Amino acid sequence: MLSPEEWDVLSLSLRVALGCVAITLPPAVALGWLLARRDFPFKVLLDGLCHLPLVLPPVVTGYLLLLLFGRRGPLGPTLDALGIALAFDWKGAVIASAVVAFPLVLRSVRLSIEEIDPQLERAARTLGASKWRTFCTITLPLSLPGLLVGALLAFARSLGEFGATITFVSNIAGQTRTLPAAIYTYLNQPDGEAAAARLVVVSVAIALAALVASEWASRRMRRS
Amino acid sequence: MLRIHLEHALADFALSVDLQCRYPTTALYGPSGAGKTTLLHIIAGLLRPDRGEISVGDDVLFSSQRGIDQPPEARGIGYVFQRDLLFPHLSVERNLRYGYDLLPSTARRFAIHQIVELLEIGSLLKRSPAHLSGGERQRVALGRALLSSPRLLLMDEPLAALDQGLKSRIIPYLRHIRTELEIPMLYVSHSVAEILELTGQVIMLDRGQVLAHGDFFRIATEPGVLPLLGEHGFENVLQVELLESPSGAGFSRARCGAQELKIPHVEQPVGQRIFIGLRADDIILSRRSPDGLSIRNALRGPIAQIAPVEEGAYLVYVDVGRRIAAKITGEALGELALEEGQEVFCLIKTNALRLGPRVD
Repeated sequence: MLSPEEWDVLSLSLRVALGCVAITLPPAVALGWLLARRDFPFKVLLDGLCHLPLVLPPVVTGYLLLLLFGRRGPLGPTLDALGIALAFDWKGAVIASAVVAFPLVLRSVRLSIEEIDPQLERAARTLGASKWRTFCTITLPLSLPGLLVGALLAFARSLGEFGATITFVSNIAGQTRTLPAAIYTYLNQPDGEAAAARLVVVSVAIALAALVASEWASRRMRRS
Repeated sequence: MLRIHLEHALADFALSVDLQCRYPTTALYGPSGAGKTTLLHIIAGLLRPDRGEISVGDDVLFSSQRGIDQPPEARGIGYVFQRDLLFPHLSVERNLRYGYDLLPSTARRFAIHQIVELLEIGSLLKRSPAHLSGGERQRVALGRALLSSPRLLLMDEPLAALDQGLKSRIIPYLRHIRTELEIPMLYVSHSVAEILELTGQVIMLDRGQVLAHGDFFRIATEPGVLPLLGEHGFENVLQVELLESPSGAGFSRARCGAQELKIPHVEQPVGQRIFIGLRADDIILSRRSPDGLSIRNALRGPIAQIAPVEEGAYLVYVDVGRRIAAKITGEALGELALEEGQEVFCLIKTNALRLGPRVD
């Protein structure tokens, strides 16, 4: 089956993808709610900014992250002081894929919140629920299908992330070498084709499993 | 007591209301677009008015001057919307418990089983709202609002989405709420029939202004109010005294001045005085006593006045102990050769008489 090195690639990729889901969902829910339910100045600008990574070449996104989080970037010293190292680290890969996946998650969450009748939230308020409780007991549960689709998109986008990751945190075995980077690396080695083929099969299997799982979950949600 | 004094600009007119609701059940009547729903939203705290003050008893809910604006959840005002707005992801029982569970037990006015029994929704508790009929959904919505123990219940045409058959089945539940639970209600409707089933106290709202406020049978004949009522309006209001309500007869006998009327059946004690509404259109004038007609009522009296009202139509005022107006065409006026002082009979079908509230 897989060599220890290939197992490392797989486990790193899953870790990065799950990390990406975990750090994109909360801000996507907050921003999705804001964009769906509130009007404020520069809303269009904020919306555009959030969607920028969707239309930018991933390499450009990766380079901008490097400028922002690099040692000499504006956020570099802060991260240093906190003892967080992103460069050449799997956490950096999480950041890179999260930024690229964020617009997809945001879009899905926002649409599902927009579909909820705001009158339901008003009804909850008149029954004695605060804004926050209304959000937790009405808005959030009703947008769950959208959250699930968003999570799947983030997971899949993260698994496939190549350009931004390799530009931001490079391609270091055991640290930042995720599935696409590994496949690319193996294909450039004279005897790597078999290993690349095995990782391709693994990629297809994970993607398929994620699709089936999300379909199953959303069906269950719709039934209940 | 609910006190409202507010100004709020809307797209094409301004809502300007100055009201004190003293009666436990008050209806808010007006054509669509009159600002009724906006007013309810403002009272409930879902919409902030431009300026004014709203209070329930001594509790100020909103005051632009004093900078008070209680959020909806702090106001203790229940709201039954036009659509039932049940939470689709919660079972009927959890919908009912939504507001109830948020209250400390000392603030709960009703037990769940009490409301469930009153509204007869016991068999629905485990179901999902998606599997309820329209009437069941609206009853659950009503129960949900009641269980949040409101000190005032706002109802925004809660029956509008239901068909006629269902409406008449929900109204008894609303009466139970009014009389058994003693929750003050502000009930929005544009159906006079629906309103009169519940209360006689009406606020007439049109284009953001209160046209009249008070007993429906006193204000319904006011010139400003009558056009608003359209086909629901009536020009005549009679006070009658109940003589007899034979069971199964389909009518009751009542005294109107010195004469007698057969009115639709009412369940009231003998001697009770009630208001009766009657449209000028529904009165037939005859020079002779009716004979061989199915009509039940013939009030006799001299014509007091004949006045033209519109193209080819006249109002004939007949003094039957009290002046009532009958509308006839110019042609009929000519053929019958009616003139002031002449004795005529006013023929009235029992079912054309509309029952109003008791005279207290």
